[in-house]
Amino acid sequence: MKVTPMEIIPKTEEQPTPPPTERLAYSIQEAADLLGVNYFSVYRLIQRGKLKVCRALRGKLLVPRAELLKLLATE
Amino acid sequence: MSNPFEHRRPTALEDKAHAEAVRHFAEQLKQFPASREAVERLEKNSAKIALAANLAASKPTLNQNVIQANDGAQWHKDVDLMDNIHLCHRSIIGGAEYAVVEHCPARGANEILNRGWNADEVLKSFTQAQRQALQVWREDMTAQVREFLAEKYPGQDMSRVTYGFMHRFTHAVSQQQIQSHEQNRSRGIRI
Repeated sequence: MKVTPMEIIPKTEEQPTPPPTERLAYSIQEAADLLGVNYFSVYRLIQRGKLKVCRALRGKLLVPRAELLKLLATE
Repeated sequence: MSNPFEHRRPTALEDKAHAEAVRHFAEQLKQFPASREAVERLEKNSAKIALAANLAASKPTLNQNVIQANDGAQWHKDVDLMDNIHLCHRSIIGGAEYAVVEHCPARGANEILNRGWNADEVLKSFTQAQRQALQVWREDMTAQVREFLAEKYPGQDMSRVTYGFMHRFTHAVSQQQIQSHEQNRSRGIRI
C-alpha cells in the first residue's frame, strides 16, 4: 500500500508529562505533617486566625493549600 | 447529655467500628490529653506563675534570658509556659509590661501572643485562647470520626460509636499522667 505524505504522522518531540494534580486542601493531620508540628499547634494557629480553614460537608476542617503557603510565606 | 450506652450494650458491629476508630485516630488520642493537661496545669498554677513574673519584674533585670520579639522590644523570659512559649516582662516607666511570647525555632523569631500591664490577666487571656483551641480540636475530631464511620459503614447509624469515641477522646489521660500516678502510688503517696 502506498502511503501518501499526508498519512505519515509527524514525529513530535516527547512532551513532558504534566505534574499530578495538586491537592487543593488538606486535613488537619496532613497540614500538621506538612508543617512539621503537632496537632495542637495547628489548632492554635486556627484559633488565632493565622491559618484560615474551611469545612467539608460533615463539618471536618480542611486547610486550603493556598492558606498553608500563605502562612509559610508570612512566617 | 446522657450516655446512650447506659441503655443498651454496644452491638458487635459498634464494638468493631469503635476499635477501628481508636486505631485510626491513635495519634490524636495520644496528643489531645497531653495538650489538655498542659492547659489545665497552666490554669491551676496561674496565680503562682503570675506572682513569679511579678517578682521577676520587681527585681533589677539581668541581661540573661533576654529575647527580642517581633515588636522590636527586648523582653525578659520569666516562666516557661509550654514548649517554646514563655511569660515575659519588660520594664517601662513606672512599672512593667507582661507578654506571652512564642519562640519559633525554625525562623528564630519571637512572636507576642498576648500583652498587658497585669501578668495575671495576660496569662488568663492566653489560657482562654488555649481552651478555645482545644474546643476547635474537639469539634473537628467529632466531624472526623463521623466522616470516618460514615465511609466505613455507609447507611449504618454510628452515632453511639461517635459518642463513645468522643467520650474516650475527651476523658483520656496522658501517658505522662499515668506514669506520675504510678510513681506516686509506689511511693505510698495518696493523690
